[in-house]
Amino acid sequence: MIFAPTALSPHEDALRHDVRRWLADTLPADFRPGLGLGGRHDPGFSRALAGQGWVGMAIPREYGGAGASTVERFVVVEELLAAGAPIAAHWIAERQTAPALLRFGTEEQRRWFLPRIAAGECFFSLGMSEPDAGSDLASVRTTATRTEEGWRVDGTKVWTTNAHLNHFVVVLCRTSAAQDRHAGLSQLIVDLSSPGVTVSPIPLIDGELHVNEVVLDGVVVPDERVLGEVGQGWAQVTAELAHERSGPDRYLSVLGLLRAFVAEHGKDLDEAAAEAFGGIAARLWSIRQLSLSVARALEQGEAPATEAALVKDVGTVFEQEVVETMRDLAAAEIDPEAASLFERLLAECVLNAPSWTLRGGTTEVLRGIAAKALTRGGAR
Amino acid sequence: MSDEGEELRRAVADVLRERCTPEALEAAERDGEAPGIWTALAEGGFPTVSVPESAGGSGGSVAQACAVLEAVGAAPAPVPAAETGLLGGRLLAAAGLELPEGPVTTAASPRLAFDGEVLAGSVARVPWARSAAALAVLADAPDGPVVVLVDPAATAVTPGRNLAGEPRDHVVLDGVRPLATAPAPPGAGDALRRRGALSRAALIAGAARAVAGLTVRYTGERVQFGRPVSAFPAVAAHLVRIAEQTELVAMAARAAAASAGEDGEPAGLDVAAAAAVASRAAGEVAAAAHQATGAMGMTREFALGALTRRLWSWRDEWGGGRPWAAELGRALAAGGAEELWPTVSRGLVSPGAAR
Ligand SMILES: Cc1cc2nc3c(=O)[nH]c(=O)nc-3n(C[C@H](O)[C@H](O)[C@H](O)COP(=O)(O)OP(=O)(O)OC[C@H]3O[C@@H](n4cnc5c(N)ncnc54)[C@H](O)[C@@H]3O)c2cc1C
Repeated sequence: MIFAPTALSPHEDALRHDVRRWLADTLPADFRPGLGLGGRHDPGFSRALAGQGWVGMAIPREYGGAGASTVERFVVVEELLAAGAPIAAHWIAERQTAPALLRFGTEEQRRWFLPRIAAGECFFSLGMSEPDAGSDLASVRTTATRTEEGWRVDGTKVWTTNAHLNHFVVVLCRTSAAQDRHAGLSQLIVDLSSPGVTVSPIPLIDGELHVNEVVLDGVVVPDERVLGEVGQGWAQVTAELAHERSGPDRYLSVLGLLRAFVAEHGKDLDEAAAEAFGGIAARLWSIRQLSLSVARALEQGEAPATEAALVKDVGTVFEQEVVETMRDLAAAEIDPEAASLFERLLAECVLNAPSWTLRGGTTEVLRGIAAKALTRGGAR
Repeated sequence: MSDEGEELRRAVADVLRERCTPEALEAAERDGEAPGIWTALAEGGFPTVSVPESAGGSGGSVAQACAVLEAVGAAPAPVPAAETGLLGGRLLAAAGLELPEGPVTTAASPRLAFDGEVLAGSVARVPWARSAAALAVLADAPDGPVVVLVDPAATAVTPGRNLAGEPRDHVVLDGVRPLATAPAPPGAGDALRRRGALSRAALIAGAARAVAGLTVRYTGERVQFGRPVSAFPAVAAHLVRIAEQTELVAMAARAAAASAGEDGEPAGLDVAAAAAVASRAAGEVAAAAHQATGAMGMTREFALGALTRRLWSWRDEWGGGRPWAAELGRALAAGGAEELWPTVSRGLVSPGAAR
């Protein structure tokens, strides 16, 4: 394990204060914070943020980014999530697609997509899950077949967050019926406005419509929209996941709730409430240090995949415990339309918390990954 | 800094590995002391790390002292390593008193009075008081708190112990004349309490890491239904839980220790966070390890028990987790909603930062 306490440099520390100040000036006074990466989809906000140079920061300057380091990006993202800022529009493009393009994309793709992502103008969804492929991602059935124009894509993706609002979706699909199920997979960038794409909402239990079914029926994708190598989709996807697992989105979904708790109940905490709240804060304190240390390790060129899986597991389980503790402390029937912001956020948290340990790889699957590394002797 | 900590942990582990055998641990429990282990550690100067050389210590930072304690917790070494340097030694040094030879002990002493001549009152749960060379505690004097150095032989010691059989003695000091006294600097009591909680977090971090290693090894060797039990996902989940809690408490303890910088004291809220995290992690690690190791883990013969009994003891010392969590909770609530995130995320900033 490579966790070690990490100090921010004076420059990194100054950056977070800049972001904090900008957010305080930019978000309206009556702003209702989103739940971390569940923040709202607001292209205007994404463009304004990009105007500050804080979208796609880690993209090199030659492709329109800021050429910032992993930790600089961490610092900015942490502030955005802590504020519950409406980051959903650019979130996947900046966290997932841009690094994938940098690692696996063609020069032409980088020149076209990266400046647009960094400008907060080009938004992506993730098309991995399917009706019969959840944790077992290698069992995807969506196919891409060679045609004269490039590829013809057929299949159905589900749970595709914000596909109804974004411009592109990166589709994991089968390009050949290989014996080894991990071979023969590829990633294609599909324009969501292409003929043959049908996006329909899948209402979630809170009644919100942000995840979708995406039916791909004979969708034509030109060759230059293949991401990386044909047949290398599996390796590319697992590399992406390992990198993006341990970020601040894994422990900050509840920060708006905690802030509202202090605002509304901070003055009259009894001993038991102070203890429960302090216990939460203590864990947040330490989980954040773990996550930051993974970012620093990534910056130094290490590949802390096991550490990242551990942080995601600890972080998301922590978030769910926070909701239960806050529920205990609220000691009221929860009304999503209550006058109190704390109670409204609590309602939103209760209805969303189960997905925190599902999305991006379930707890069970993560523990499987971590256990394999531990029993192989990666523990010391 | 982290590499330096790693070197120190390794150096101490090298001293202790051959010495902290199951037989030596049993003997220490029986005798209430482990002079051989103490001498080996003391020869390397390890127990007095973080006490300035000018006061008779080995010098170094609080973070370095905590690195030593992680190794002491992992061994586990049945000696007052925390009490001698980080706790008692720094208490003496801060009051301008010289560190005596041999193991020193200390404890919170809220009901001890000093009239300028003799002491009145008692101190509860003093680690290894019966075998310590000196006791360093705070007492209330007419002109404010003083640090007093006492010869334990001059006191009445009633033996007590913790779940690991480590001495936690009751010391009656009525009428005892101190060997030395000096006015305590402001806040000495709070600072001692903080270092006490931090020392337990560091010891717990060390013991938890040892438990992790032991449990991974055992579940990889124990075969049931034709395969190592660690191959069962339910058992593997225990291993993951132990690893997570171990990393969490180690991070909490190291970050809090690092907040002291090169020669300062650790920051109050960082210590409170570490204490709360450590106390909880101790219980989770012990429970998961015992579940994963079955009946073998319950035997006196197997090394796990010496570690888990310490986890169960240390998590309650210097307040345990609850009052520290409450202290942190109250401080954050008093700071107000807008300061919550800036305070929680304050973390460490390398020197030179414009704050
Ligand atoms: C709010 C939300 C947004 C999402 N957005 C997207 C998106 O934008 N794009 C996208 O592609 N996907 C998205 N997902 C899907 C997400 O990635 C999947 O939910 C996740 O991969 C798990 O798959 P599943 O839901 O089919 O569960 P299943 O795989 O069916 O799992 C069911 C249960 O079985 C357990 N299980 C399965 N396999 C194993 C195993 N090997 N060992 C132990 N236990 C196992 C799981 O842990 C779980 O408890 C989203 C999900 C949610 C909740």
